[in-house]
Amino acid sequence: MRSITTWARIKSPWVIHFNSGACNGCDIEVIALLTPRYDVERFGIKLAPSPRHADVLLTTGVVTAQCAERLKRIYDQMPEPKFVVAIGACACSGGVFKGNYSVVGGVENIIPVNIYIPGCPPKPEAIIDGVVKLLNSLKEA
Amino acid sequence: MQNRVGPSLTGPSGILQPLADFIKLITKEDIIPRDAKKTVFRFAPILAFSVIVFGMCFFPIDGTNIIPNSAFSGDLIFDLALLTIVNFLMFLSGWASASPYGSIGAARVLVQFLGYDIPLFLLALSPAFLAQSLSISEIATAQNIPFVILAPWAFILFLIAMQAELEKDPFDTPNAESELVGGLETEYCGGRLAFLHLTRDVQIIFGAAIVVELFLGGPYGPVFFGFPTFWYTLWFILKLLGVIVLSEYLASLFARLRIDQVLTGNWKILLPLSILSLILTVALATWIYPWVM
Ligand code: SF4
Repeated sequence: MRSITTWARIKSPWVIHFNSGACNGCDIEVIALLTPRYDVERFGIKLAPSPRHADVLLTTGVVTAQCAERLKRIYDQMPEPKFVVAIGACACSGGVFKGNYSVVGGVENIIPVNIYIPGCPPKPEAIIDGVVKLLNSLKEA
Repeated sequence: MQNRVGPSLTGPSGILQPLADFIKLITKEDIIPRDAKKTVFRFAPILAFSVIVFGMCFFPIDGTNIIPNSAFSGDLIFDLALLTIVNFLMFLSGWASASPYGSIGAARVLVQFLGYDIPLFLLALSPAFLAQSLSISEIATAQNIPFVILAPWAFILFLIAMQAELEKDPFDTPNAESELVGGLETEYCGGRLAFLHLTRDVQIIFGAAIVVELFLGGPYGPVFFGFPTFWYTLWFILKLLGVIVLSEYLASLFARLRIDQVLTGNWKILLPLSILSLILTVALATWIYPWVM
């Protein structure tokens, strides 16, 4: 029974993308994932319309002071089990915006992050690699 | 479309993907929004699913019915009414979720199916008139030559009305993702979302099955050897798949209409056309009757 649920979770991760203050570089890479060129739909990955439907939260960009509360709220709206992927140097640590008066820092300061994908911006291949690592860690757990 | 291959790594060439989605959804946490109408929110999706599956029992799939002798002489009307009830339950489930996106999506469902039900019923009358029966199985048996050849005008209009009734492109305003997030499903998660998706899918099969029964000669086709029931089921499934492919093709071919265009399209174009098509069928009936069994 456990193995069937794990199999279903690995095969059907629905993602939602949230930009908490990125320069849009990372967002374009995330969109590239979903277009026919990289087509992550092959793995059952689907862009969910609402946080209530999603399993994986893809966050891009540094968290600005204004966005922090929204990010938390979106995270709370997602049903368990949920995973967070921080995409880009900014989301991982604050990146070039680190120390700015209007930012809180990386995503980890607000919500727990499962996997970090550094790069400015990371290539779509790197993002796929990160998501695969996340799914494999599920399998081992 | 766009050369996409779709999910291809779940099971053999991806056919297990819906199963994986379903299992994942029913094992997820169950959240009910604080302001939602709890009872309706809980039961509407499941009720919608059971009603549509109940409606499926009236189709003569292997030449008889799934539940033996469930057919009766007015089951065409009954089945179309069940389709309306399902749409109403979908409206209820969106309305109960107390979210602006959900309520707008639900209101659009209501507006759309109230309008398109009328042409759909009128168009379903054409085959019923030709077969001189309101029973689905008798209409199917009457088609030695399928009604799609004898009354193509009704078939084309019926296909359009069905597309609108099932909220598929170009009529999918109730779940327009770019405007309404998830439409009436916005606040649903876990098992209830799974049931909403499942209801949608069964609705599509249901609509295609009605088209097959009314216009494509139902399950009947050449029997080569062995049991006729086997061949009838095979023919039925093949025709069903054909209709679904056609409707999906139409859906990906057209862009979405606005809700006001959907409404004017219905009341100003489709409704008069469906009345005309019924008149045409009645007028030509004397010439068509010799071809009907
Ligand atoms: S990591 Fe680079 S590309 Fe991504 S949001 Fe930050 S600055 Fe932009």
